[in-house]
Amino acid sequence: MTDARGGPAPVPQSPARRAWSALRANRVGTVAATVLVVLYACAALAPFLAPYGEGEMDRVRFFHPPTPVRWDGRVDVTRPTAAGVNRYEAVPGASAPVRWFVRGAPYRLLGVIPADRHLFGVDAPARLYLFGADSMGRDVFSRLLYGAQVSLTVGLVGILISFTLGLVLGGVAGYLGGWVDTLVMRGAELFLSVPALYLVVALRAAFPAHLSSRQVYVAIVVVLAFVGWASLARVVRGMVLSLRRAEYVLAAEALGMSRARVLVRHILPNTASFVIVAATVAVPGYILGEVFLSFLGMGVQEPAASWGNMLGAARSVSVLRDHPWLLFAPGAAIFVTVMTFHVFGDALRDALDPRQGPGGRA
Amino acid sequence: MRTFVLRRLLEAVPVLFGVSALTFLLLQLAPGNFLDAFLENPSVSQAQLAQMSRNFGLDRPWYVQYALYVKNVVLHLDFGQSFSYHQPVFTVLRRGMGNTLLLALAGACVTWGLALPFGLLAAARRGTWVDRTLSLGSFALLSLPEVLSGLLLLLFAWRTGWFPIGGMHDLDHDRMAFVPRVLDTLHHLVLPALVVGLVPLASRMRQMRASVLDVLRLDWVTTARAKGLPERDVLVRHVLPNALNPLITLFGFTLGSLLSGSFVAETVFAWPGLGSLTLEAIQRQDQYLVMGAVLMASALLVAGNLVADLLLALADPRVRHD
Amino acid sequence: MVRGAREVLMRVRPKFDSRICAAALLLVLAGCGGAKVARRVDVHPLPPDTLTMRMHEPGEYGGRFVVGATASPKHFNPIMASERPTNDVCNLLYTSLTDVDYGTLEDTPLFAKSWEWSADACTLTFHLRRGACFSDGHPMSSTDVQFSFDVAMDDSLGTSMSEGLSITDPRTGERARFAYSAPDSYTFRVVTVRPYAMLLSATSTVRILPRHVLERVWRAGGFASAYGVDTPPESLVTSGPWVLREFRADEKVVLGPNPWWFGVDARGRRLPYLDELVFVLAKDQDVAALKFQAGELDGLDNVRPEDYAAYAAGQAKGRYTLYDGGPSFNTSFLWFNLNPAPEGSANHRAGEPMVGAVKYAWFSQRDFRRAVSKAIDREALIRGPFRGEGVKNWSTMSPGNKRWYDPAITGLDFDPEGAKALLAGLGWKDTNGDGFLEDRDGRTIAFTMHTNSDNTMRKEMLTLVRDDLAKVGLRVDAAPLEFNTLTSHMRGDLDYDAILLGQGSAVPAEPGMGQNTWRSSGLLHYWHIRQEKPATPEEARVDALMDRIVYTTDEAARKAAWRELMGIVNDQCWIVWLPTQIIRLPVRSRFGNVQPSPMPHRILWNVDRIFVKPGRG
Repeated sequence: MTDARGGPAPVPQSPARRAWSALRANRVGTVAATVLVVLYACAALAPFLAPYGEGEMDRVRFFHPPTPVRWDGRVDVTRPTAAGVNRYEAVPGASAPVRWFVRGAPYRLLGVIPADRHLFGVDAPARLYLFGADSMGRDVFSRLLYGAQVSLTVGLVGILISFTLGLVLGGVAGYLGGWVDTLVMRGAELFLSVPALYLVVALRAAFPAHLSSRQVYVAIVVVLAFVGWASLARVVRGMVLSLRRAEYVLAAEALGMSRARVLVRHILPNTASFVIVAATVAVPGYILGEVFLSFLGMGVQEPAASWGNMLGAARSVSVLRDHPWLLFAPGAAIFVTVMTFHVFGDALRDALDPRQGPGGRA
Repeated sequence: MRTFVLRRLLEAVPVLFGVSALTFLLLQLAPGNFLDAFLENPSVSQAQLAQMSRNFGLDRPWYVQYALYVKNVVLHLDFGQSFSYHQPVFTVLRRGMGNTLLLALAGACVTWGLALPFGLLAAARRGTWVDRTLSLGSFALLSLPEVLSGLLLLLFAWRTGWFPIGGMHDLDHDRMAFVPRVLDTLHHLVLPALVVGLVPLASRMRQMRASVLDVLRLDWVTTARAKGLPERDVLVRHVLPNALNPLITLFGFTLGSLLSGSFVAETVFAWPGLGSLTLEAIQRQDQYLVMGAVLMASALLVAGNLVADLLLALADPRVRHD
Repeated sequence: MVRGAREVLMRVRPKFDSRICAAALLLVLAGCGGAKVARRVDVHPLPPDTLTMRMHEPGEYGGRFVVGATASPKHFNPIMASERPTNDVCNLLYTSLTDVDYGTLEDTPLFAKSWEWSADACTLTFHLRRGACFSDGHPMSSTDVQFSFDVAMDDSLGTSMSEGLSITDPRTGERARFAYSAPDSYTFRVVTVRPYAMLLSATSTVRILPRHVLERVWRAGGFASAYGVDTPPESLVTSGPWVLREFRADEKVVLGPNPWWFGVDARGRRLPYLDELVFVLAKDQDVAALKFQAGELDGLDNVRPEDYAAYAAGQAKGRYTLYDGGPSFNTSFLWFNLNPAPEGSANHRAGEPMVGAVKYAWFSQRDFRRAVSKAIDREALIRGPFRGEGVKNWSTMSPGNKRWYDPAITGLDFDPEGAKALLAGLGWKDTNGDGFLEDRDGRTIAFTMHTNSDNTMRKEMLTLVRDDLAKVGLRVDAAPLEFNTLTSHMRGDLDYDAILLGQGSAVPAEPGMGQNTWRSSGLLHYWHIRQEKPATPEEARVDALMDRIVYTTDEAARKAAWRELMGIVNDQCWIVWLPTQIIRLPVRSRFGNVQPSPMPHRILWNVDRIFVKPGRG
């Protein structure tokens, strides 16, 4: 705990500040937060960081294994061998240096700034495959970065939708009570009574067909968010029910504040610490949800990349045996991200709720 | 107590009704219908499709179909026929259900069997490396997509030969005596139960840890320690039983989600359960089969919540349902 | 030794029907250095008219063959069967009048020992086998055949074969059912209104059911659910080489030899050789592959090309053989939507092109479609999605079809420069420098192409095709869809631009089975389905050629008509062909007479003749 007691005039700290310093003090939490920032930065700058475009194929090198960068910063030039289909060998004496800020496929950085420089790359005919190539000679490393744009935002957009729904509906139900409460809670109960799995699959199947991969992405987010709001609404309602009788709420009402204002200004903010933690812990659910939908063939579709569809396409023993990089690259990306979110959520919970902290028990 | 149970059961009726309406609506929203699969078959004519459509009642508007469905359920307890099996829905579902429950229960055993001791240990050693390792380890298990862990375990089974590769029974299962038969099923059960059970481990462990910590703060624990009882005795004899109370409710909720928790594991390990049956039914739009499966899962969910409440009442005499 | 012990166990186990099985499986235990070899003794007398099956070598009795199956049968009613797993098992349980030999693709006798055509080629008379019995020992006769036809043509059941049991009457233009009769117990006659080349194959789709068991059920209206998954296995009365022993839904199906079956080997011994044929359900390809590698399965009839190399490498160690089945009969292709809007279409007036006037103006150009065909790098497709295990293919009769493949039928192969020249010839240029062509009105040539999302290989093909077309300046949005959604667009609302799909092979795999695809009135006439009258002169010609293929019985004339028909199709490029896969299947080397066919039912079509080689059990 922060110790303000030693000072001459104890300055009362706001809960947010207290949480922030508690979080900063938690080493694991800080590392997790840093990793998350780096991951999201990578996703945002994907076209710049990726040496190749999302769908850029190399017709000569299907299933090319990862190309090691040599100690002198060069990579070997390879060519197909006669030893078998999609087998490669280094061309003796031919190599190319890895260069910084090379020109490549044009793109728009952050969706607006047109550019064609990539952070690093090699000149043709060499090809830089940090994590190998997939069945169409596309660079797995680049696709992982592009896929991050889908997989990392699915969670954020998803909780944005489901938490808005959950907060508003749960808040209104708890605060107003009466028939509104009954209606909302019966609705939530209905959604909670259908196993999430069936709901996801049935909802996804109910979406219209003519969807581009971007629209499929939206459909997935909406489906997953739609399934997630009910349980949150129930918890928020419970919290609001108890807060509604709190003295400061009664005071605010006595002062003639409108009910909407009381709800938004005085009641919901008090659920914040719970909601923030719940949100952080909910994000991995969306990432894994997209993986699950891809497993069923209902996720983001080719040629767009997502970690789920990369993992789904590579989920086979033959890939594991012949081209393991196709499975391990997205698998590791998902693992690291989900793990980091959990660890971060855990640290956040400790910071926001000192009673539960590992060492912070009075 | 009896009135409480009765009231809860009565309350479940509109919920299940709503679930059936919601499911039916979603099935109608999905483009196409069951007969689309026949469109691929070069030898099926337009006239036959029309005939099949009449036979299955698919030529009527959806609200008429739904009204008929509800009528049949209410009046005759007839949940309809599966289009692809030409059999009553529950005849088809019955066989998968037992298998799924078995797998899910085994999974729950894995979860609780690990969560309780490790949660207790983490709480007892809170803040130490043991605590941190346990929590990181459980997060790691949670973060591995089931799709991937299933595949890795399958490969493990094949490489070592220690476990059968998927399935639920040995080919000669039916020719075995009782004991080898049970052992055979258990042998097949281990890997899929691991996949099912390790996912919720992290949250159960965390709950156990928190619950133990809550008890540890109480005065009488301090008293017990002050009396000079060994720490182990304090934990096992006094803290553990009290820490379990809040978890009992959770166990009830686990019951409710049994039918849907093992879906991926079933698919990866070729486990003959409800999951793959239902998925196939959804994809083929075998609508009454889907309705039956969803209703059954929902009923179990509702029942699980009820059991949770009852368990809580049994465990904690202060809670009374009248 | 464990295996030997198991097999002994299996034989001494008491059977459900003591009359049949205990007798059929009498044990002769010959002690031989500790190993016990059991031998089956055939107890029922052979019928006067046995059927000697064609095979490489006569085999020995005994053993179990375990095959991986991708889906479980839904019931055991061959007349109601409408999908592969159910059909696969039903075809083993029930026989028919005749069948096609999957090895030679020639017609071969089954319950009919011979057949003859009348002079006008309108009447086909079958002479049935004397002394043949159902699996319960009840004699089989023409009344059973008649009963099976009655049921198959029962309109209220809507069976999948009933459409095939009729042809268009040239006088009225209506569909006319085959007439059939049973003049005596061992004669069955089918009459059509005009000569029909497909008659024999059409009648062979009707599997023969026991009238003495099922007629009551049928009359009572319960036929559709008869022989469902709940039926006790021993109560199933079958007419084919096998009987049902055990069934565990979503787990396994166990078949045993039918002790009354009339098929024999060259030495006059009753088939099948095997004691048990087991289908183990392994939906997941990985589970199937690992189960095979671990020795739990003896054969697989569906293997992904990406696994071929691993199977080939493990042959000696795993003591199995990777059989080459040749190019698959399943074909892949893409097409453009030229359909006009049907009556009552949501967003279009009836008769308007479904894709809109602009896209129709592109798609209806023959040179556009030809350019697309030339833009596709089929060798890259073979190396990528097919993992090198594919061949180019230009018709529904793939190079694997020994009887109907015609090397003279070819299409427009990869030639990007040629494609660009064709597109330039249409007046299309890249006017705005974005790399994609614009038409004369400055509109970018862009369209959406779908495939079914559950098929990884097709999705990969679509991605490559998209890239190929981009290279010649055509912008394609690739959008895989769920299969049901895709078919409802394809056949229902007709709302799509282009689709990449495949077609499974019909049985028998011959051009006459393609009426639904090639006739302008066909439901599978992909690019413009169910035309009331042929929309183009070329399609009118195709219809006429189809008539010749179907209503002529002279083989040479039929082949010539087929060549001309495909010539027109490939000249027009209504269908743009993609490569087809080579089939390879692993089966343990200890089994003899294994002869995989590229047609579905690949290793099982002659499973009654498969046996365990002596000394290798």
